[in-house]
Amino acid sequence: MTPEMEKIHGLFLAEAEEQLATLEQGLLALERTSGSPPLASLQCTLHTFKGGAGAVGLTAAVELAHLLEDLLTLLEARAVVLHAGLGSLMLQAVDVLREQVGLEPASESAQRLPALEVRRLLESTLKASQPVQARVTAPERPASPAEPTAHREHTLRVGLGRLDRMLDLTGEIAIARGRLAEMLTQAHRYTPQQLMEAHRDGDRLYLDLQELVMKVRMVPIGRTFQPFVRTVRDLGLAMGKQVRCELSGEDVEVDTTIAELIRDPLTHLVRNAMDHGLETPEVRQARGKAPTGTLSLRAFHDAGTLVIQVVDDGTGLDRERITARARTRGLLGPEETPDEGALLRLILAPGFSTAERITELSGRGVGMDVVKRNVESLRGTVSVDSLPGQGTTFSLRLPLTLSIIEGFNVAVGGETYVIPLQNVLECVELPAAESRPGSTGVFHLRGSPLPFLRLREHFALGGSTPARENLVIISHERGLAGLAVDTLLGQGQTVIKPLGRFCQGLPGLSGSTLLGDGRVALILDVPALLQQALQAASPAALA
Amino acid sequence: MSEENSAATQYLSFILAGEEYALGILRVKEIIEYDTVTRVPGAPAWVRGVFNLRGSVVPVVDLTVKLGLPPIQLTRRSCIVVVEVRQGNEDIVLGLLADAIGQVIELGPEDVAPPPAFGTQVHVEYLLGMGRVGTARKFILLLDIDKVLSGQEVLSATALRAPPGEDTERTTGKVA
Repeated sequence: MTPEMEKIHGLFLAEAEEQLATLEQGLLALERTSGSPPLASLQCTLHTFKGGAGAVGLTAAVELAHLLEDLLTLLEARAVVLHAGLGSLMLQAVDVLREQVGLEPASESAQRLPALEVRRLLESTLKASQPVQARVTAPERPASPAEPTAHREHTLRVGLGRLDRMLDLTGEIAIARGRLAEMLTQAHRYTPQQLMEAHRDGDRLYLDLQELVMKVRMVPIGRTFQPFVRTVRDLGLAMGKQVRCELSGEDVEVDTTIAELIRDPLTHLVRNAMDHGLETPEVRQARGKAPTGTLSLRAFHDAGTLVIQVVDDGTGLDRERITARARTRGLLGPEETPDEGALLRLILAPGFSTAERITELSGRGVGMDVVKRNVESLRGTVSVDSLPGQGTTFSLRLPLTLSIIEGFNVAVGGETYVIPLQNVLECVELPAAESRPGSTGVFHLRGSPLPFLRLREHFALGGSTPARENLVIISHERGLAGLAVDTLLGQGQTVIKPLGRFCQGLPGLSGSTLLGDGRVALILDVPALLQQALQAASPAALA
Repeated sequence: MSEENSAATQYLSFILAGEEYALGILRVKEIIEYDTVTRVPGAPAWVRGVFNLRGSVVPVVDLTVKLGLPPIQLTRRSCIVVVEVRQGNEDIVLGLLADAIGQVIELGPEDVAPPPAFGTQVHVEYLLGMGRVGTARKFILLLDIDKVLSGQEVLSATALRAPPGEDTERTTGKVA
């Protein structure tokens, strides 16, 4: 085994351990709950595991996982009933998977069945239940499946040099603090300027430390990209496709959480591209393209965000099939003809698949849902571009760091709100002549109409509108819009704090932050806020 | 909860709408003075807002709304009882708004009577029992805080929303 492969294998093992544990918990929960079982998350986990196992060449595990996946599909379609025997068979299968990837099985050795036996049993179970038709109606999926997250400590390797520097800084800060405290006890002997100077000395050190801590969390994205080179090669061989994998921007540094959570979405995107996107050499030549296809993974910075792209030069998305599929699934009305962007976004819907057959690789419609969910949990967005016959580009746009953003503070009444600066274009004063009461309005911005939302009314904050209002102009998908607020407070670094249970996931809010005076300020989720306004207003209001 | 079953258990009592309620003291992390609470638009009506507890953002629950009691009036004695509750399979920290803090009481199993079938101000489901303290004639209602927070509100959320003006003042104004 080459050192490189060893690294990949190590990564896979760590993940597989977590995934199989999740799977096991999920299966056990499945047995406990009656009614609609939480199958979607199980399928996601299994699917991701399968991808990983395939990448390190564990064919037996892939095949077994595939059988399990089939079984889960049957369970979901209610073609088979989960009884204790089946439950333990599936759990035994998980143990066999553990053995096959080189992990310690969880059960007693006496209760274990040999791998071949488990496989045979699974196959006969599958055969016994009649093949089900592809689902026509959309299965009810929980809007936000509460996935049982395995409690496993996340670790990160840090260069000793960086840690030493941090330690040095902590020492220096301690000295600076002591000096300042001493000066303050005898404050009458110093001028305010001198005290301020001493404070600044300490502050500078503190900022250095903050920067260093943030840097420690950053890892090059190349480490995440690397395993896919092998995936592409192996999949290409298995499917008789000639594909070259190109990487660019491997040294772009990303937050370690992003690097970790982006791996699953990338797995699904790469496998999708291999399966549906890229064609076989014969087809490519017939279409006048080079026989070898290209799949690129790219990372780059753009306008304060990190962009990760998965690009293939394959067949492109079939618009007609997407439309047809969306109609049968009821995502589109029979007469509706969505625009380009909206049409392509449809493929991100859970359970959506245009594949005619379910292959080992894809076609269940689980993958794109994982992509969307993972990316959104990182406060990112997914977009799709596709040219028929020329290929598809998936772009994941992610924040650079997860914990600090540039924010723009505004005040409404006694409350302070933070708007992410990346959304803010400019600020103008709302002339009294143009302001009418109401939660929305239109403002004339240099000759063009600009719809705006009055935050005070929208959040039902009460109080009276001040004589002078300000308008923060923000850009969003559909163009420009304004947010009317009382006062503009200016920009600054904003440390994001989660809102915690009960307040999490509220529309229009993405988190909270602490202000200098210790109060909590809410961070606005501008796209969601405008979406709300859009839904509340007549559809033409924001056209 | 096991802590309520041991020989003698300590409880912390607090006042809500004139009635004395108590929680197992092991649940209570600290008691702090009521300070600025930031309202969270769109949150359930019984979440009064969030506040800064030494760097983490913690929600404040208005139990009067959750239990269907008369609304709380902020006074100088209003305080926030920071508790740890179990929701699903995670422990979360949150603040409970109280009119005032009562006392720390010790109750043995013989001092706790099962809740009566009806007649209490709070739904029986939310009570662990009724505590008898010394010679006092009043019972202290022992709250099952996990159940209270996971249960449905007694009244619909919108029905209890105060008029906007008053609401803002109540939640953001510092108590003199």
